[in-house]
Amino acid sequence: MARKRAESEIAVKPKAGPSRATRIGFCVAAWTVPGLGHLLLGRRWRALILFCSILAMFFLGLAMEGEFFSRQSDSYLQTLGYFGELCVGLAMPAAGFFGYSGGDPFFVSSDYGTAFLVTAGMLNALTILDVYDIALGRKP
Amino acid sequence: MMKISHFPAMVLFSFLVSVVFGVLGKDSPRDRLIYGAKVFGAFIGFALLLGWLMYPLPW
Repeated sequence: MARKRAESEIAVKPKAGPSRATRIGFCVAAWTVPGLGHLLLGRRWRALILFCSILAMFFLGLAMEGEFFSRQSDSYLQTLGYFGELCVGLAMPAAGFFGYSGGDPFFVSSDYGTAFLVTAGMLNALTILDVYDIALGRKP
Repeated sequence: MMKISHFPAMVLFSFLVSVVFGVLGKDSPRDRLIYGAKVFGAFIGFALLLGWLMYPLPW
């Protein structure tokens, strides 16, 4: 009896979620603009809070003259920092486009600013993973 | 350009990271608030504790 019930539970097909390509699309959206992936998945409030928090962190980093790392650096840590900052999405090239010169390492708050910039990218990486989990149905 | 000292920078950093951790880490609004507050308190508390522990160090 119990076995039959277990078999019938296994036989129930899970609800079909978005396809793999769609899930990857949500992740790309989440990468380009923080919170956009959550917005597309219908989590409006979560999207708004993430958008505001991550971009506030990024703009505070810019205001403190945080450094944009280069990919062609000799130091592996700086290369990692470049990819960390790139995780924030379009905000990084947009800042360059609007005239941000990449920071002033001699400014008094520059080190804090760099930490803010890299952390904004890392937080957006966590957001991307969260979007993937939601799209997969692992999270509400 | 924004000049900021250690403590306000740390509080700002902790607050923003706590908000994101709270939103991503828990599912209900109440749990998020509690978890975010805990993370924020832990950031500030450990930073102050480590600061006091390192205070006597000469370098």
